[in-house]
Amino acid sequence: MWKALSEPFRYRKSTAAVQVVDAQNPQNVNRKKQKAKDWQATLKRIWHYLAHHKGRLSLVLFMVMLSSVLTLLGPYLIGRAIDQYLEGPGGSPWLLFLAGLAAVYVFSSLVSWLQNIWMIAIAQETVYRMRVDLFGHLHKLPIPFFAKRQRGELMSRMTNDIDNVSSTLNSSAIQVFSSVLILVGTVVVMLLLSPLLTLLTFLVVPLMVIGMKWITRRTGVLFKERQRNMGELNGFIEETLSGQRIIKAFSQEERVIGTFREHNARIKQSGFWAQTISGFIPKLMNGLNNLSFAIIAGVGGILAIRGAITVGVIVVFVEYARQFTRPINDLANQWNTLLSAIAGAERVFEILDEEEEAIDEGAARELESLQGAVSFSHVSFSYNKGEETLQDISFEASPGETIAIIGPTGAGKTSLIQLLSRFYEADSGSITVDGHEITTIRRESLRSHMAFVLQDSFLFEGTIRDNIRYGKLEATDEQVEEAAKLANAHSFIVRLEGGYDKILQGDGSGISQGQKQLLAIARAILADPAILVLDEATSSIDTVTEIKIQEGLQRLMEGRTSFVIAHRLNTIRRADQILVLQEGRLLEKGSHEQLLERRGLYSNLYQGRMQLQ
Amino acid sequence: MKQIFLFIKTYRVAAIMAIFLMLVELTVELIQPLIISKIIDDGIARDSTEVVLLWSGVLIAASLFAFAAGIVSSFYAAHVSQSLGYDIREKLYGKVQAFSYAVFNRFATSSLITRLTNDITQIQETTFMGLRFMLRVPLVVIGSLIMALVVHAGLGFLLLLTVPALFFVIIWIVKKAAILFHKVQQKLDAVNGVMLENLSGMRLIRVFVRRKQEATRFAHHSGELMQSSTSALRLTEITQPFIVLIMNAGIIAVLWFGQIEIHVGSATTGEVVAIVNYSLRTAGALSALSMLVSAFSRARASAQRVSEALMTDSGVLEGEGAPKASGSIEQGSVQFEKVTFQYPTIHTPVLENISFQVNPGEMVAILGATGSGKSSLMQLILRLYEEDEGVIRIDGRNARDWDTRHIHDSIGYVPQEVLLFTGTIRDNIEWGSVDVSFDQIVEAAKLAQIHDTIMQLPNGYDTMLGQRGINLSGGQKQRISIARALIRKPVILLLDDSTSALDVQTEAALLQGINSMACTTFLITQKISSTMNADLILLLDEGRLIGQGNHAQLMEASTLYRRIYESQFGEEGSHVESFK
Repeated sequence: MWKALSEPFRYRKSTAAVQVVDAQNPQNVNRKKQKAKDWQATLKRIWHYLAHHKGRLSLVLFMVMLSSVLTLLGPYLIGRAIDQYLEGPGGSPWLLFLAGLAAVYVFSSLVSWLQNIWMIAIAQETVYRMRVDLFGHLHKLPIPFFAKRQRGELMSRMTNDIDNVSSTLNSSAIQVFSSVLILVGTVVVMLLLSPLLTLLTFLVVPLMVIGMKWITRRTGVLFKERQRNMGELNGFIEETLSGQRIIKAFSQEERVIGTFREHNARIKQSGFWAQTISGFIPKLMNGLNNLSFAIIAGVGGILAIRGAITVGVIVVFVEYARQFTRPINDLANQWNTLLSAIAGAERVFEILDEEEEAIDEGAARELESLQGAVSFSHVSFSYNKGEETLQDISFEASPGETIAIIGPTGAGKTSLIQLLSRFYEADSGSITVDGHEITTIRRESLRSHMAFVLQDSFLFEGTIRDNIRYGKLEATDEQVEEAAKLANAHSFIVRLEGGYDKILQGDGSGISQGQKQLLAIARAILADPAILVLDEATSSIDTVTEIKIQEGLQRLMEGRTSFVIAHRLNTIRRADQILVLQEGRLLEKGSHEQLLERRGLYSNLYQGRMQLQ
Repeated sequence: MKQIFLFIKTYRVAAIMAIFLMLVELTVELIQPLIISKIIDDGIARDSTEVVLLWSGVLIAASLFAFAAGIVSSFYAAHVSQSLGYDIREKLYGKVQAFSYAVFNRFATSSLITRLTNDITQIQETTFMGLRFMLRVPLVVIGSLIMALVVHAGLGFLLLLTVPALFFVIIWIVKKAAILFHKVQQKLDAVNGVMLENLSGMRLIRVFVRRKQEATRFAHHSGELMQSSTSALRLTEITQPFIVLIMNAGIIAVLWFGQIEIHVGSATTGEVVAIVNYSLRTAGALSALSMLVSAFSRARASAQRVSEALMTDSGVLEGEGAPKASGSIEQGSVQFEKVTFQYPTIHTPVLENISFQVNPGEMVAILGATGSGKSSLMQLILRLYEEDEGVIRIDGRNARDWDTRHIHDSIGYVPQEVLLFTGTIRDNIEWGSVDVSFDQIVEAAKLAQIHDTIMQLPNGYDTMLGQRGINLSGGQKQRISIARALIRKPVILLLDDSTSALDVQTEAALLQGINSMACTTFLITQKISSTMNADLILLLDEGRLIGQGNHAQLMEASTLYRRIYESQFGEEGSHVESFK
C-alpha cells in the first residue's frame, strides 16, 4: 500500500530538467532567448499553414464571437424571465418570451456546431498539407540523409508528431479563441463595477506569470524529449520488426525486449514529468483563483464594513471572479496540448529545414535525349572525410559501349555507380554525360535516361504487374509481359496463383530472392533507357537461369551504354571495356584482350581462374 | 476493452488516490460559497472585522490545501497513465515477439508500429484526462440533479427526464465514433505503410524518378486519413451542441412549469431560481463533453486495436503444451522424411515429399533454380515455419518435440538479404550471442574474413553502422552477418546464399574455417565450386528433391546437375569468381 502510494514520487529527475537548470545559468541567457524565439518561429509557421484558410478561419472567428455573445445572452434572458415573468400572469407575452429563449438556444447550438465542424475541416486540411509537405520534402533530401536516420524515427514524425498538432488544432484552437474573448469581456465588466477590487483580483496575475514561466520552461523541453524518445522507440520497433526473422532465428527475443524496455522506460520517464508538470497548470490557476477569491472576500468585507462598497458588489464580484476563472482554466487545460503540439511541430519543421539535395539551379539543364557517352575525369570521392572511397578515377565510355566493373568487395564499384546516379557528389574531378557536366543537369532529368538494377531488389506492396510497370508507367500489359519474358520471369509468374495480378506482400514472402531480381531486371528492361546500370543484378539467380536471361540482357545492352558489375566471365569478356578496381583505385582498364596482354592483375586472375578449372 | 481495464487494476491505489485528491479539490470549491456567505452574514452584517479576517484566512488556507491536493494528484494521475502506457506497450511488444513467424506476417509492420506507439498514446492520454476531468462531469451533473430534486421534486423531475436522453445520445455517439476512429487508425496504418515503403525503397524511387507518383499515392492515403478523421470528429462534435440543446430544453420546461406551479402556489420563486441555477451549472459542466467524447471514442478504438493484437493466438506450434525435450542439440544430425510444406497464404506446396539424411558435421550444399524452394527448406530447419506433412528430425528427435529455443540456440543463420541493426560493428557481431568477450568477437570476425577490413576503419569495431550499414559494401555487410552467426558456435550452420558476394579465396578461407568448427553446415549456393567439396548435395527443382549425393555421383546421375556444371565450367559461362 505504502509502496503504491509513494511510487509517483520516486521517478528519477529527468535530464531535461537538468538542462533547464543549466538554462537558468546567466551565461545561458542567450540560449533561453533562442528558445523563446524558436517557439515564436514554430507558432508562426503553424500559422503560415493555417493562413491558407484565412477566409474560413475568419468565419470561425466570427462564429466564436457570436456564440460568446449568445452564451452571455442566455443567462441574461433567464434573469429577465425570473424578474419579469415568473411571478406574472403568463399568457402570450410569456409564451413569446419562452419562444424567443428557445430560438436563442437553438441558434446558439447551431453556431457552436458550425464553428466546430469548420474548424475540424481547417485543422485536418492543415495537417494533411503538413504531411504531404513533409513527404514531398523527404524525396528531395540527399541520400546521405537517410544513411544517418532510422526509418521508424522518421515515420514517428509523420504520425505521432503530426497527430499532436492535429488534436490541438481540432479542439484547442476554438477554446483558446473563446476563452480569450470571454476573459476580455469579463475584465471590462469587472473594471466598470469596481476598479479597486479588479486590481485586487489581478494581484495574483504576477504569481500566475511566474508560475507559468516556471512550468513552461520545463515542459517545453520535456515534451520535446518525450517526442524524441517516442521517435527513438519507433525507430527501434521498426528495425526489430523488419528484422524479425533474424531475431526469431537467433532466439534473441529476450534481448530485444530488454532493449525495448529501456526505450519504453525513457518514454515513461520523460512522459511522466511532462504530464505531471504540465498538469500543474490548471491546478495553479485554480489555486490562484481561489486565492483571489479569498482576497476579494477579505478586503471587500473590510471595505464593506467601512461602508466603501456594498455587499451586493462583493457578491457580484465573487461571481465574476468565478467567471474569470473558467476561461483561464480552459486556457490552462489547453496549454498542455498546445505544448505537445509545438514540440511535435518543431520536430516536423526540423526535417522540413533539412537542406535539400544541392538544389538544381535554375541554369540546370533538361536532357531531351541522351546518346550515352559517359566520362569520368580524375574523380575522387569519400563518404567520410579522410577515407577516400574512390581516388582519381578516369575513363571514357562511348555511346553503346558495355563497361564491366570488377574488383573485390569494398573496392568502390557500387560507389562509382552512386556518383553516376548523383546520389552522392564527387569531391573533385568531373563526370560528364554527352559532354555535359552532370552537375549541370537536373537530377531527375538525368536519371530518367538511366535504368538501374540495384543490389537489393526492392519490391513494393502491390501486384507483380505494377512492380514491373514501375519502370515505365504508361507501358501496356503486353509490354510488361514482353519485358518479363526477356528477363525470364514470365514462366514463374504465370505459375503463381493470380499470375501477373498476384499481390506481393511487404515482406515478399512466397517469392524468392532470385525471382525478385528477375522482376527487377524486367523493370529495367521496360524502362528502355539510354544508360543501363546492372549492380550485381544476377547475384541470387542460379546459373542455368542466368544463361537463359543472358540473351535477353545482351539484347538489352545493345545500343545503350551499360555499366555492369558482374562476375560472369562471358559478360566481362564481351565488354568493350573492363575497369579493374582495387581499394578505390582504377588499376587497369581496357578490353579483355588488351588486359590479357598487359599481364597485370586481370591477366593473373584470369589465368588463375583457368587453372582452377 | 476489458483487457485494458485489467492493466489499470495494477495501479488502482494510485488511481483512487488521484480521484480522491480531485474530490478534495472539488469539495473546497463547493464550500467556498458557504464561507463567503459566512463572511457576509457573520462578518459584514455584524461589522466584525475579526470574523471577516478569520474566514478569509480559512479561505486562503483552503485554497492552499486544494492547490497542494491538485499538485499531488498530478503526480498520481501521470504515474497511472504513464505506467499504464509502459505496461501495455511492453506487453504488446512481448506478445509480438512471441508470435510465430507465420502469425507475425499476418500483420503489416506499419500497423504494428502504429499500435505500439500511436494507439497506446491515445489510451494513455485519455486515462490521464479521465483521472483528472472525466469524473468531474458526471459528479457535477449528479450532484446538481440531487440538489434539484431536494429543492423541488416535481420540477427537479423535469431535469431528471433529460438524463436518459443525454445518456443514450452519448452512448450512441461513443459507439459510432469508436467505429469511425477505428477506421482513422487503419488509415494511419496505410499512411505509415506508404511512408515505410518509401523510406525503404528511396534509392529505387530516385533512380526511376517516381517522386511525383509516390507523392500522389501518399496524398491519396493522407487524403483518406483526413476524410476519415474529419467525419469521426464531426460526429463527436455534434455531442456538445446537441446535449446543451437538450439541457436548454429542460430549462425552458422548468421555466414553463415553474411559472404554472408558482401560480398554483406549489412552488416558490426561490425554488424555481435554484433549479434553473442547477440546470445552468449542469450545462456548464457538459461544455467539455465533446472533447471527452472524442477522446474516449478514440481511446476505445485504439484499445480494441491493441486488444486485437494481444488476443491474437501466438500461433505456437502444434505439440505445444506437451512436455518439451530438455537439453540442447549436440550432434547436429538432420533428417527430413517425406516433408511437404506450403506457405499459409499460398495454395501450392513449395516443397514436396522431401527426404534426406545429414550426419553430424557434414557439409550440405543445396542447389537449384531460382524459386525451387531452397530458402524454404532452410526456414523449416529454422522452425520459422512448420512442415505440413512428414517429419523433420534433429539429433534423431522430431523437431516438433524440441523446444524451439533450443533449436535456435544451436543454429547459426545467415540470411540472404543482409539485416544489420543500428549500432556499432561490435554490437552487431555480439548480438549473435550473450556474454561474449571482445576476443571472441575478433575471433568470429577473423573466421568470417572481415577482421582486416574492420581494422582498416578509423573506429575499428566501434564504427557505427547507419540504417542497414550504409557505408559498407554488400560483401562486407554479408561477412559481418556471417560473423554474427559464427560467434554462436553453432552446431548447425545455415548459410542462405550468403557467400554470393565473396571472392573465391575469401570463400575458400571461410569454408575452411567453418570446417574447423565441425558443425553441420547447410549452404545454399549457385556455385559448383562450393558444392564440389560438399558431403551431400541436394538438388531441388520446383519444390522436389530430384537428386542427392556428392559431386561425382550427381555428375553421373543427374542431367540437371550436369547442366548447371556446364553453365559454369563450360565454354558458355565461366565465372571469374576471383574478380568479385
